[in-house]
Amino acid sequence: MVTIEHKRAHIKVHIGNFKFEHVIEPRYWRNPLIGVAFILIIPFLLRDMPDLLTLFATANIYACIAIPLSWQMTGIGRMNFGPQFFLAIGGFTASLLSIYMGFGPWITLPFVILAGLIFGLIFSGLTTIAKGLYFSLITLILPLIFLEITYVYTDIFKGETGLCGVAPLVNFGSIKINYFVAGILSAVMMLIYLLIVDKVLRSRVGLFSAAINDEEDVAKGLGLNITKVKIITFIITSAMVAGAGWFAAHYFGTFAGVTYLPLSFMLKILIMVIVGGRGEIYGSIVGAYFVAALEKALTFLGPIHYVLFPLIMLILLFSLPEGLYGLYRRHKYREYYPTIRIRNR
Amino acid sequence: MLLNLENVTKKFGGIVANNNVTFGVNTGEIVGLIGPNGAGKTTIMNLISGIYKPDSGKILFDGHDITSLSADKICKLGIARTYQIPRPFPDMTALANVCVAVMCGKKRDKMSYGDAMLDASHYLEFVGLFGKRNTLARDLTLFELRGLELARALATTPKLIMIDEVMAGLNPGEARKAIRLIERLIDEYKVTILWIEHVMKVIMEATDRVVVLHYGAKIAEGKPKEIANDPVVIEAYLGEKYA
Repeated sequence: MVTIEHKRAHIKVHIGNFKFEHVIEPRYWRNPLIGVAFILIIPFLLRDMPDLLTLFATANIYACIAIPLSWQMTGIGRMNFGPQFFLAIGGFTASLLSIYMGFGPWITLPFVILAGLIFGLIFSGLTTIAKGLYFSLITLILPLIFLEITYVYTDIFKGETGLCGVAPLVNFGSIKINYFVAGILSAVMMLIYLLIVDKVLRSRVGLFSAAINDEEDVAKGLGLNITKVKIITFIITSAMVAGAGWFAAHYFGTFAGVTYLPLSFMLKILIMVIVGGRGEIYGSIVGAYFVAALEKALTFLGPIHYVLFPLIMLILLFSLPEGLYGLYRRHKYREYYPTIRIRNR
Repeated sequence: MLLNLENVTKKFGGIVANNNVTFGVNTGEIVGLIGPNGAGKTTIMNLISGIYKPDSGKILFDGHDITSLSADKICKLGIARTYQIPRPFPDMTALANVCVAVMCGKKRDKMSYGDAMLDASHYLEFVGLFGKRNTLARDLTLFELRGLELARALATTPKLIMIDEVMAGLNPGEARKAIRLIERLIDEYKVTILWIEHVMKVIMEATDRVVVLHYGAKIAEGKPKEIANDPVVIEAYLGEKYA
């Protein structure tokens, strides 16, 4: 016996004793299903254009870095300038296992997550020891040290050229289908990340993260175990960023420290997070797509884009302090959203 | 004795902020803590709430030794505090501010986010801020922030609330309201209060017992009337001439 009941903003479906309730969001642009459908339609529209599909996948990889990073920044109350360190941990774990052990992408995935968790645990102490700017400085140096290591142990990491011959993500025999399926997979991965972080930030953990971001000492005085929240947040988000590295390594079939570890890549991530809207996960997706598109658009201008890209980024940093998403949300502070500040105490 | 400080000493480098301070607070009592500027009143409060650790001495609360516990554990045992300069979570709404305290303050079984919101609304209603529940804390006035701090402290269901200079910066009308609020708080929640205040009139009227600090050491303790006539206290406040 199935009955469907429609009341103003609710749809209730009764199937026997089982009741399912769905709330219709009256502001249609906020309906998550529309956004999900929009993103999943893109690879179908671009199925004959492999270069644009690659751009789409790149944007999704960027978003997979920016989404966990937004959560991390609120959850530990500090600005992390070196997320690409964990990206490289994931990428190198995947490519080394794939090249030297012959593992496929789905076997390397658990190892990558494990590596992300372990390195996250090792460096999680920084979130309680180092305050404000010092944390930012230490995390800024981490990827640069890793870059040096890839040059020193060049027979393992192939510092100059990068590791080639990583097992592809999917192999259906046709390059066109491969690109298409990998594009869909990138979107699915991004949406899974979005779902996880969205659920977490809407729960009590989100409230605790926001409290830590605003006033760490006061939150502690109110009985919150801030050390626990900060360390767990750091470890989980690090593993998530490492997951983005896994995808990048298997998607492009190659992984080089020179591409991902220098400061210019960090600038991209920073811009994604800040142009999108600080501490705002939906904004960071907008930021990621924006950065990927801008990067692609500027390559048509020739070599000058190496100068132009950072310049445009810096101008955006100053002209849009609240980000693209922040412009939309400026007058809607009824809904809570945290801002990120770099503390000097 | 609910709270007991035994020979507590705290030094910052060469400066002795608290020197061998010993006093206690009984259950249900309202104790005033007074002293000239820089006497070490707020340091005492920070020592009790676990922000600083004493160099020597012992702090006992409700039968537990809290000297070396961290701030969050001390809060869970039942000590809440307000700050001299209000420190809300500026980018969160008033309701979310209190919600954090409700969810962290004490272990409550099966409390959902919604239940916590309801509980927080109750405390906001008590301090008269329910109408401002969706306002960001950074947009509240000083008086409202003091109310928010009290609501947050109450939401952790404490046995002892330490109030740090609640009157500072309020106009006479607001100050009267603040005193009435604290009186109602004592009546309804039956909490013990340790009250730091500069406004002598309030301390003399509202408290049961007063502890006087000067240069980090306790110089007097007793009923408000006795303290007001104590020559040592008068000397500390006004100088030798008036003693």
